[in-house]
Amino acid sequence: MKAPARPPLKARLRALLRPPRTLSVTKTGRTYLVVTFGVGLGALNTGNNLLYLLLGLLLSMVVVSGVLSERCLRDLTVRRVGADAAFAREPFAYRWAVSRKKGHGFALTFSEDLSPLTGTGKLGHLSAGKEHIVRADLAAPHRGPVRLSGVRVTTTWPLGLFAKTRVFSLEGTLLVYPRRGYACKEPGPAEKGPRGESGSPRHLDGTGDVAGLRELAPNEDARRIHWLKSAAAGRLLKVEREREERRIWKLALETGLTGDALERRCEEVAAQAHQLLDAGHEVGLQLPERALRPAAGASQERRILQALAWVGFEGVDAGTDSREAA
Amino acid sequence: MKRPLRLRLALRDLAVGFAFAAMAMSGQLPVWVLGVFIGALVLALCDVRLVARFSRLSALGLLVAAVLLGLQLTAGAMNAVVAACAFASLIAAQRMLSTPDAAAEGQTHLTGLLMVAGGAALSGDMTYALCLIAFGVLASLALALGVVEAAVPDGEPVPVRAVLRPLSVGVMFAVAGAVAFFVLFPRLNWAMVGPRSAPGFGAVSSAGYSNTVRLGGAGTIKGNPRVVLRATLTPDPGREALDAYWVGRTYDTFDGMEWTNVVGAQQTERQITLRPASDTLLHQRIELLPAYGARTLIALETPSRLGNAMAHTPTGTRNSPVQLQGGGEVRFTVTAPSYTYEAYSLPPDAKKGMSDGLVQAERDQLLALPEHLDARVAQLAAQVLQGEKEPLAAARKLATFLQRDYGYTLEQAGTPEDPLAEFLFVRKAGHCEHFATALTLMLRTQGIGARLATGFYGGARMDGGYLVRAGDAHAWTHVLVPGRGFVTVDATPPSNRTSQGSVLLEKVLALYEAVESRWRNSVVDYSFRDQFELASALVRPPRRAPGAPANEGPSRLPPPRAWVTAAVVAFVIWRAGRFVSRWTGRAPVLEATRFLDRVDTALQKAHVPRFEHETLEDLTTRLAREGHPLALALTPLTRRYLEARFGGRALREGEAEHLLATLRRALDAEASRRAVKPAGQAGPTARAS
Repeated sequence: MKAPARPPLKARLRALLRPPRTLSVTKTGRTYLVVTFGVGLGALNTGNNLLYLLLGLLLSMVVVSGVLSERCLRDLTVRRVGADAAFAREPFAYRWAVSRKKGHGFALTFSEDLSPLTGTGKLGHLSAGKEHIVRADLAAPHRGPVRLSGVRVTTTWPLGLFAKTRVFSLEGTLLVYPRRGYACKEPGPAEKGPRGESGSPRHLDGTGDVAGLRELAPNEDARRIHWLKSAAAGRLLKVEREREERRIWKLALETGLTGDALERRCEEVAAQAHQLLDAGHEVGLQLPERALRPAAGASQERRILQALAWVGFEGVDAGTDSREAA
Repeated sequence: MKRPLRLRLALRDLAVGFAFAAMAMSGQLPVWVLGVFIGALVLALCDVRLVARFSRLSALGLLVAAVLLGLQLTAGAMNAVVAACAFASLIAAQRMLSTPDAAAEGQTHLTGLLMVAGGAALSGDMTYALCLIAFGVLASLALALGVVEAAVPDGEPVPVRAVLRPLSVGVMFAVAGAVAFFVLFPRLNWAMVGPRSAPGFGAVSSAGYSNTVRLGGAGTIKGNPRVVLRATLTPDPGREALDAYWVGRTYDTFDGMEWTNVVGAQQTERQITLRPASDTLLHQRIELLPAYGARTLIALETPSRLGNAMAHTPTGTRNSPVQLQGGGEVRFTVTAPSYTYEAYSLPPDAKKGMSDGLVQAERDQLLALPEHLDARVAQLAAQVLQGEKEPLAAARKLATFLQRDYGYTLEQAGTPEDPLAEFLFVRKAGHCEHFATALTLMLRTQGIGARLATGFYGGARMDGGYLVRAGDAHAWTHVLVPGRGFVTVDATPPSNRTSQGSVLLEKVLALYEAVESRWRNSVVDYSFRDQFELASALVRPPRRAPGAPANEGPSRLPPPRAWVTAAVVAFVIWRAGRFVSRWTGRAPVLEATRFLDRVDTALQKAHVPRFEHETLEDLTTRLAREGHPLALALTPLTRRYLEARFGGRALREGEAEHLLATLRRALDAEASRRAVKPAGQAGPTARAS
């Protein structure tokens, strides 16, 4: 139990005056308000009861619009589903999951609050009791971790006169990978020496398709024994696989790079890694402060992209809900 | 671009159609504007967007229309508001037929809104309310569907049904809110000049209510079922149908084509006395409806006094003085769509020995004949009368002759040079004006004084009063009988005197007029006085019951309705407070928390050493561990705070004050203990704060 520390008067006053929802008037709404003002002026000028009636209807519609939009936003629950992969300066698919216990939600627009991410997701109708996934094409202007503070949900329901916004406080980090492009430079020579399946005369077999079975020689790795066939044959048989000509590259990011030079280098390394991994090779990464062991496959590419995304942002607090892409 | 929802476009176009109808009901828009808009609406509903293909041509058309309207405006042939409304409807028509993009949508709705506002300025009809509600509902639906449609991804259906339910509830609340605003908002009137509202379609230009009666016009007035007059009679005749003459004015001069009066306007008073009153007068409280469309006061034959008139203008109700004109006509001096006034008429048996109330010029005109009167008229009159000289007998003889030998028709064959001769000798058929003119002039050719009277005949029972329709407009003859004054003689066949409209239509319209009357009284004529009366009626003590004893004084307590009103207002305020507190999204400050704040403040003032983020519980524990004297005061206080905050045992009344007083005493004791310097201590000590 902690006794609440009393914030300063200015902060309390600001908190007191901060509206729970933000409201902006749309273009249609501005026109509507001008006409309402004109009708009010006409009613006061002439005393025409029908103008008073019309004015009453117009003002009532404003109030009803406020109430309906509030009902639309009140009972929402929002969580981030996130993105599979977000690359800088290109649209990436981003998702939020939204649900409500009762009532309906209409014309909801989702976006990330106070973040450099551009783009919105739209949901026409949200019924109660089931979770809807809202998809958006967002874009990030640069590489690196993007601090997410909340999700903005805006609605122009019911008449499109006002856009009411509610911000759901939701901490998180989106890691934006370096921009995808082409590698102009060669990745350099592959690693030399008995590594992997290349350059080792003792490793005659590889990790490819099954080539056949042969008797296990002395001092050979027992992990390749095919126990079922060995039991049937009465002697130890080893599985032989086709040997793949995979090689190892160790890409490096030079120290001392900053700004655009660092960005360009990160993009280039990412492109080289993608190229090499796509060809089936193993790729490692040497960063100024850490290193990644060489490995192959899509998961290694993701590890490399993550590592590159964090370069230059090591001091940044990832937040409470640090995730790769949400 | 996404293909827009047909339903939404149809709703939008219908909404604009109703907005246009709100204006068109006033009957003040030019016919060509009506035609253009209705054509555009039909095309739009059929989803034919002509302007999408001929946008430049339509813009040119709008420009031409603007010039035309401007010319009419500058020539004084059109009111500025009417011109603006007409132009708004043309823009709406052009927008409806254009490609339905976001800009066109907004502009269409905006012009609809402007047209509704224009309708409020032009029309006072109840149909305006219907059009307003229809526009509100349809436009709201169209806007809401548009908002949802914009958020629905391509290819997915728009959830129309889901939209309808919350929106319809919202619109109902909006209508209720509009009514509440209308009733409660104080009526202010800066009394700037605005356009006059029009009586709407079906307004009468009845015979007798222009300055002349001209023979030969179309007689379709007989088929018009619009109610023009409501009257409450005292004493109430109690009959279902009156066979009474409601006189508006009389005419004394005929020039062969039309009737006029020799005497013009006379005095203006609040009340005009036409002839001396008798002991028994028939009192009438009369309401002239917008369909009447004239300024002449109507009263039952034979009117004695008319006045106490109220003109119901769009800017409020005000007194209207009345002016006496020639021919016994009394006119309102204020132009308004509707009026209420009082009239007193002499009973039929009270006319003996009564003066005719004519000036000499009028008396001289009672025998005047047109310059080129066909000689056959006098011959025919003499032939029918065969020497009869007694005025009333002669008049009745001639009336019988006309009713027997002449037919009644509303069809007219153009405008003949001598309409009377045409009626008597060629067509031998005409309407009431022909019959009355023929009788009047035939009497005059025989030296008998007579004049033409116009007004209404009949009256149907409705809600304890009588209503008279436009189709009841009538003309008859006043014969001057020595010693009796003017006596009414009607030459028109009896079956053709009243309205000729369809009975079913009359019944439907009677119902409509009854509703419209309520609308006019409670909406169009609603005023600050009504608001004041409504408010005072809520708190005024009830009157003494009819059966209550006389010595029993009225109750000093407010009536039950005042209690109910107060309860309703209190409930609304409470709910609003609840809503606002929930809306602000802040939890209410608990009493225990307030108590903790006060403890913290007291400790801070006393400079009790405390670590950052150290809770009261931690502080008490630490002080107790250190054997600090303050721990004795803080321990029970902390325990009570924790019980109150988390244990569901709220602080009793005065308990917080008691605990704080104990703490303050302990703090004071601690402060004085620190102030006493220990022996042997020299010099000042520094204290970190």
